[in-house]
Amino acid sequence: MLKDSPLGKNNPLRKNNPLRKNWLSRTTLLSLMFLILILFASASHTLAHRVVLFAYVEGDMVYTESYFGDGKKCQNARIEVYDSLGNKLLEGKTDKEGEFSFKPPTREDLRIVLTASMGHRDEYVIPEGELPGGTEGRTRGSEPHKAVGNVLPSEKGWKEEAPSSQLSRLEMEQIRVVVEEALDEKLKPIMRLLGKQQKESFSFIGVIGGVGFIFGIMGIILYFKSRRGRDLKVPLDGS
Amino acid sequence: MHISEGVLSAPVLVTGAALTAAGCGIGLKKLDYDKVPQVAILTSAFFVASLIHVPIGPFSVHLVLNGLMGLLLGWPAFPAILIALFLQALLFQFGGITSLGVNTFNMALPAIFCFYLFRYAVKGRNDLISMGAAFACGFFGILMASFMVAISLVFTGDPFLGIAKVVVIAHLPVMVIEGLITLFSAGFLRKLKPELLEVAHAKR
Repeated sequence: MLKDSPLGKNNPLRKNNPLRKNWLSRTTLLSLMFLILILFASASHTLAHRVVLFAYVEGDMVYTESYFGDGKKCQNARIEVYDSLGNKLLEGKTDKEGEFSFKPPTREDLRIVLTASMGHRDEYVIPEGELPGGTEGRTRGSEPHKAVGNVLPSEKGWKEEAPSSQLSRLEMEQIRVVVEEALDEKLKPIMRLLGKQQKESFSFIGVIGGVGFIFGIMGIILYFKSRRGRDLKVPLDGS
Repeated sequence: MHISEGVLSAPVLVTGAALTAAGCGIGLKKLDYDKVPQVAILTSAFFVASLIHVPIGPFSVHLVLNGLMGLLLGWPAFPAILIALFLQALLFQFGGITSLGVNTFNMALPAIFCFYLFRYAVKGRNDLISMGAAFACGFFGILMASFMVAISLVFTGDPFLGIAKVVVIAHLPVMVIEGLITLFSAGFLRKLKPELLEVAHAKR
């Protein structure tokens, strides 16, 4: 007999359907939310939808790399280079690896702008100090020799024992160039890594923070709503 | 789907922001405050969904869930999407703060269309029609959003058909996946929590 009656336990709470339903729905909602959160957050280690451009200087060339947040290379995207006044210096398209390189035409802050498909865009600024030193500068090629050659005649007029010091200066210059080239080569991967990390911003904390923020807003709305329910006579204008 | 900062010209940005402000106004007015938790849950789902990219095709695309949001929320989808996009711009640099208005409008207007077009069919008695409508809802949300993105980009000077083709083709896999997600979510809610399919609108 006891087994037959569903209300055998005669617990008043059992029959209280509205409360039970309410409680159930809240747990379902909460668990759904956590399910969504955990599933989504664990499924995605990468940024999905933005484009990243970074650039570095090696030798007398500027190299740029570009990729979407999920690691796909931006192929055939437009690259434009502007000087500090906003004049366009040159433009080009990225290759299959999402790379583009150019020789900087002037020695000043260069703003490189990438425009990819579907309204994606990113910028990278190379400060003047990182650029190879155009005409008065340090780099390879005949320029240092020329510079030395220009100075020499005037010096020769003053001092006769120039050759030895001239030789050492030339040697110094060459050593400097060679060392700088070697350093550039060695530092290249590190520069790339640093450039990438500087741009990387995805974080699990960001996801948690954002979701927390949304629920914080919800709390604020509910708080004001509950207050408004209590005293309706509070004037709404803040003056 | 997110248009980056600095791509669009000022008139487009201002128009987008104004339209979004109007949409948010209507959304907040129509919001039934008992449904605030539901809105918040869908906002966070939308916020996180954009981190899931769909690795099909040569483009970088991701889930959006605007069809599902429209179906379940109606007009309050506007402020919900605004908040989610704001946080995405802030935390992940998706889109940008200045293009927030345009991006919100591009994704929220299709949500409203989904709401009016598919709500009754999804809630209806017939299972098959409901399933079909739910799939179409998810599909249509992305399709229309793609066209909205293309329309916004027209003003940058590129021809409309070219952009529209790229954007729509890139999002085809997402449309199908979102259709399936919306189908399963709606089916699940229909069986277990049909009251969630009721709208987050104030009854007045």
